[in-house]
Amino acid sequence: MKNNIRVQRAIKNITQGDLAEMVGVSRQTINSIESNKYVPSTVLALKMARVFDKPLEEIFMLEEGD
Amino acid sequence: MKSRFLFPYWCRYLGWALVIAHVPISMITRNHGLNIDSPLVNNELFSGGHLIFICTALLMALGLFLVAFAKEKIEDEQIWQIRLDSLRWAIYVNYIILITSLVFINDTGHILDLNLWVPLIFFIVRFRWVIFRLNRSLSREG
Repeated sequence: MKNNIRVQRAIKNITQGDLAEMVGVSRQTINSIESNKYVPSTVLALKMARVFDKPLEEIFMLEEGD
Repeated sequence: MKSRFLFPYWCRYLGWALVIAHVPISMITRNHGLNIDSPLVNNELFSGGHLIFICTALLMALGLFLVAFAKEKIEDEQIWQIRLDSLRWAIYVNYIILITSLVFINDTGHILDLNLWVPLIFFIVRFRWVIFRLNRSLSREG
């Protein structure tokens, strides 16, 4: 699964730490999600979508082979 | 993320304190040649040997247990996953060692000893190592 959280963060002009605090996880987790090392749970994904005020599919997308 | 069945964060320091406290006690008992391997030789509860056993092995086990199962500062879902994964590896390693030693070694007393330490120590090392790697990749990103 791919995501464009980094881009969304840049649009909203917030840091990894800010986003982590808003959705209640550690900065490490946001970093692993951005570098595609960790797939977030649905709850966390929805929380992030709410922060960016975008539908889920605009932030997370399936890759070939998923 | 709800994290039930974990000790509070400060238990980690208590755990390390117990592990460290265990070192001098076990050194002293070993140097004095006290028999701590078989605490209940004469089936006497709270005899000298039994008390020393409680002070060394059990304190150490309790300490490691607290270290292993204390909450992280931010206990989120990724930590939860790493925890489960490390636990799975610890069980694998424990049983591989246990089965091999049951087949090749004829000393059940020490096998029990091994079984007491291997899962906890392996779990702690693996868990800390993964978190260390996470933090390192974080500081590289800046």
